[in-house]
This record gives sequence, C-alpha cells and structure tokens, in this order.
Amino acid sequence: MEGSLNAIGYGLSAIGPGIGIGILIGKAVEAMARQPEAAGMVRTNMFIGIAIVEALALLGFVLAFALAGGG
Amino acid sequence: MTALLAAVEYGGDFTLPPVGELFNFESALPLGINRTVVLTLLATLAAAALFLVAFSNAKVVPGKLQLVAESIVEFIREQIVLQIIGVDGLKFVPLLTTMFMFIWFNNLLEITPFVNFPTTSRMALPFFLALLSWAVFVGLGFRHHGLGYLKDVAFPPGVPWPIYVLLTPIELVSTFVLRPFTLAIRLFANMVAGHILLTIVFLATHAFLALKFPGIIVGVLTLIAGPLAVGFELFIASLQAYIFVILTAVYISGALHPEH
Amino acid sequence: MTTSLVILAAEGGSDESLQLLPDTAELIWGIVGFALLFALLWRVAFPSLNQMLDQRQQAIQGRLTEAEEIRTEAEELRRQYQEQLRDARSRADEIVEEAKSDAERIREQKVSDAEQEAQSIRERAREDAEAERGRLVQQLRSQVAALSVDLAGRIVHAELDEQQHRSLVDDYIDRLSSMN
Repeated sequence: MEGSLNAIGYGLSAIGPGIGIGILIGKAVEAMARQPEAAGMVRTNMFIGIAIVEALALLGFVLAFALAGGG
Repeated sequence: MTALLAAVEYGGDFTLPPVGELFNFESALPLGINRTVVLTLLATLAAAALFLVAFSNAKVVPGKLQLVAESIVEFIREQIVLQIIGVDGLKFVPLLTTMFMFIWFNNLLEITPFVNFPTTSRMALPFFLALLSWAVFVGLGFRHHGLGYLKDVAFPPGVPWPIYVLLTPIELVSTFVLRPFTLAIRLFANMVAGHILLTIVFLATHAFLALKFPGIIVGVLTLIAGPLAVGFELFIASLQAYIFVILTAVYISGALHPEH
Repeated sequence: MTTSLVILAAEGGSDESLQLLPDTAELIWGIVGFALLFALLWRVAFPSLNQMLDQRQQAIQGRLTEAEEIRTEAEELRRQYQEQLRDARSRADEIVEEAKSDAERIREQKVSDAEQEAQSIRERAREDAEAERGRLVQQLRSQVAALSVDLAGRIVHAELDEQQHRSLVDDYIDRLSSMN
C-alpha cells in the first residue's frame, strides 16, 4: 500500500469545513425561505461565511502540498 | 508528489507529473517574463479592452458590450458596495471593480481553450491582491480613526473585561495576519485545486480512452466529466473573484465603521 | 508516463513541488498589470461611465417631465371634453324638454281645435236640422191646411172662406204642436 499521509491530512482537514458549510448553507436556505425579502442579504452573508469556513479546508489542501517534500 | 493511479492494473501508464511541473514555468524572456507573466498581461489587457471599448463611446442607450460592462459595474456597486459598505463606500467602486475584473479574467484563463492555466494559481497575484486589500483597509482604519482603530480592533465593545485576555490576541491576529493570509490562500488554493482537477480529468481521458476494455470505461467517464469540470471551474472562477471582492468590502466596511 | 508527459514537457519547469512563495518577476508584472488596469478604469472608463450615467439621468428626467406635462395637458383636455359633454347633454335635455312641451302644447291646441270644430259642426247640424224642421213644419202646415180645407169643403159642401179656413187650420195646428 503506497500513498501519502498528506492526502489523509487533507481529507481530515476537509471534514470540519464540510460539515460547517453544510450547516451554514442549510440555515441560510432556511432563512431565505422564511424571509424571502431578506434573501439578498442572507446570500451575501452566506458567501462571506462560506469563504471564512472554507479557508480551513484550503489550508489543509495547501499544506498537503507544502509539506510534501519528496512525497 | 507523484500520484500513481490504479491504471497500471488495467495495462495503462497514467501518472500525474510532479505538481510543480503544472505550475512553475522557466522565464523564457528577459525581465523574468515567463508564461504566467504573459498570460497575466493578456488577461489584464482583455479586461481593460472590455471596459475601454464599452465606455470610450458610452451611449445613453447602451449597446451589447456596454450593457455587459455596465451590469458588471452595477453588480459591484449595488450588490457589494451599497449592500456591505453603504453610501460612503461608493468611492471604492473603481478599485473593487478593478480587483474583480483582474481576478476574474485571470481565473477565467483556467478554462480558456489553448491556455488552461489560471495565473492566480501562482502565489504572486493572490499575494499582491491580498496585500493590497490589507493595505487599503488598514490604511482606511488608521486614517479615519487614528490610533483608536487599534483599540477598536483589539477591544470590541460589549464584552466583559476578563474575556479580553483571550479575545484581544485573537482579534489582533485575525484582523492583521489571518485576513490577508486567508484571502491569498483562498484564491490561490482554489485555483490550484481547479487546475489539478482539470489536469487529472484531461490527462486521464487522454491516457484511458486509448485503452481496451475495461480501462476505456474510466476514459469514457473522465470524458464525460471533462465538460462538467469545466463548467464547475467556470463557477468557481467567478465565485472566487466575487468572494475576494466581497471580503475586501467587508474589511473596508469594518475599518470605516468599526462599531458594526 | 510517456504520452501524458510529452504534453507537459513543453510547459514543465525545474521545481517539482508546489511553489508557495510568490515569484518576484511575476509579482512585479502582476502589480504593473493591476496598476495599469486600475489607472485605466479609474481615469478613463469610470469618468466616461459617470458622464454617461449623468446624461442618462438627465434624459430620463427630461422624459419624465415631458410625460408629466403631456399628462397634465391630457388631463386638462379631458376635463374640457367632459365639461363640453356635460353642456351638450344638458342642452340636449333642454331641447328634448322643449320639444316635449311643444308637442304637448300642439296636441292640446289640436284637441281644442278639433273640439271646437266638432262643436261648430254639431251646432251647424243642429241649426240645419232646426231650419229644416221649421221649413217642413211650415210646408206641412200649409199642406195640411190646404188638404183640410179641401177635405172640409168636400165634407160640408160648403165653401168656406179661404181666409177663415186658414185661420181655423192654423189654430188647430198650433194646438197640435203645443201638445207635443
């Protein structure tokens, strides 16, 4: 079995943001359905939230390459 | 990092090249001009050309090109600036529009036929853009609130004072270090990931479609996945430009009115 | 490895790992490109855009004002027309009313004329009848007188005086007529 621990590390780093973004978008859709007149504002804030949460997964992604060495 | 796929078992020879080979180019011309630089300048030129042609002879009743450019500017003004910063942010519309167009066009190089390389997947552009965004919002914060800006950032109101022991370092680091860092990393990593995704799909199609059964199944699947991946990357390229600009707007808004 | 990498060989660089630090040349050229784009947009595209937007605003404002004027004018016209219509309608009502009263008047006139005429015809007829009756009575009287004289003469064989005879018969007839 060959492979890289980095890939596992990236997979782990994606779990948290994955769950987080799921909850975030779910709540945002809920809010939009409840108050369609505030949909624009909710959508903007949803993207901001996604961007912030997503950073964690991306850090994992970059580190998977950065720490690869001869990997 | 060399990712060896299971192709060998099916008699294939599909191997991803070292990832650096996808992104690093030798400078072929003087002044360090390499492929990335040429593409960056071309994307910039395209963005500039769009706006100059659209607005050089701006008419009251817009033509098609003018309508496209106008709707971009209107999108930045209505959806980003007015919604997030407010009326006092209108003077940032040119800056944010430039940022949006620059990032967007450089991202779109990823799915441009015969180019297929996003220049934002090189650290230079995200680094510079994040640094610019950082300089703008920090500069604005100090210009509008003087040294009080530091206090506004470090001691957000409405918190019992013992919390500040924990909160102040976090706020300072997140505002002055993590913000530009994540801005740069977000754009960079998304485009790197997109480029790798497209490379894998295209190379796998190239390698597997030439094989006999059962290897060709993979080839057919990746062939179908190709256009889908391109469509997805079009979405990502636009979304990342939007997110970069909207976060910059959020940071500017925070610097102008820290009470929010 | 062979076919795939032939494509990539053309763009292959020396560094095998993902480069996380910005390349100096790319950084500088990127800044140059961005600065150029920003300058162009800020100094050329946006002033032109704003000028155009001002023009558009003026144009739209102008159209709106014009439309407002036209609307006011139309409103005025409509009011006038309505007034005229109302005048015309009341005038028509008047005319109809007048015609009605005229007709009534004429009808009454006609009726009374007819009545008068009928009255006069009846009157005349009665007079005629009266005259006729008088004449007939007169005639009858003279005939009766003549006949009676003749008859009496024949019966009594005595020749009465014509004059006496006549007065006798007249008496008789007078009595007769006063009886009926």
